[in-house]
Amino acid sequence: MSNDAPMLEDELAAVSARLRREALSVFGRSLHIRTVDTGSCAVCESEIRLLAAPHYDLHRLGFFFTPAPRHADLLMVTGPAVRAADNLLLKAYAATPDPKAVIAVGACALGGVYPEDDLIHGAVDRVVPVDIFVPGCPPSPLALLQGLLVAVGRLGERVSALSLDLDDGRLR
Amino acid sequence: MASWFYRGLRRGIVTTRYPKQLDEWATTLPSPPAFHSERLTVELVDQLVASCDSGALSRDERQLRVDLGRCTGCGRCLQAAGGAAKASGEPLLASLTRQALIKIVPIRGRSQTP
Repeated sequence: MSNDAPMLEDELAAVSARLRREALSVFGRSLHIRTVDTGSCAVCESEIRLLAAPHYDLHRLGFFFTPAPRHADLLMVTGPAVRAADNLLLKAYAATPDPKAVIAVGACALGGVYPEDDLIHGAVDRVVPVDIFVPGCPPSPLALLQGLLVAVGRLGERVSALSLDLDDGRLR
Repeated sequence: MASWFYRGLRRGIVTTRYPKQLDEWATTLPSPPAFHSERLTVELVDQLVASCDSGALSRDERQLRVDLGRCTGCGRCLQAAGGAAKASGEPLLASLTRQALIKIVPIRGRSQTP
């Protein structure tokens, strides 16, 4: 092993991240979504169902729900990743053809509601790699739609520019 | 090519894109808190942290750390903070990295009792 090995790994990580982004932008025009519930209370699911309602109508944007992960480009994962659901989540992830993306939906999936214990991982990214995080309890359909469009690079994310300090002069 | 195909194209109605502007009610959805950093004191922040059931708030010396990913928008901290916090009204929080969801708010207020 040469001394360059760690640096090469860094470069590899950068290249793989770029490839991942580019692969996702291939989905820019049409994308099939499989939802995976890892112990959610079903309110996130209720909001996800609303995406197909006329007001949000995600089909006009080229997004479709599919009943099988083998047909999916993207997994929408809700719930705090209960350990009993490990098998189904890992199987769904393995069955989704590459290139694929994972969206973690809701505060549970992002580690907010349930701490890690014997029954629960507490966050989806402890089980499968997550590409997009959509916070909220539950996230509104509009937030989910933005998450999908951010995932495929059709919208820029805005949370990085968000300041929660009302006195720093930017938000006032 | 069949003529109905071209007729269909001519009559084709362009469906709407993602909304350019948010609906008026979108900012009234439950959203994470925003803080008046000049009104925050260490004592108040400790109360806020204790009021947060989902562990979204934590204090690091003179900084309030807000994890938007964990926030459920329940509003308990808004009640505990009095006028020092209000709902941010930001519903679109999707992020490509977990780190971008962690926000730091400085604690600029001075305690009344040293």
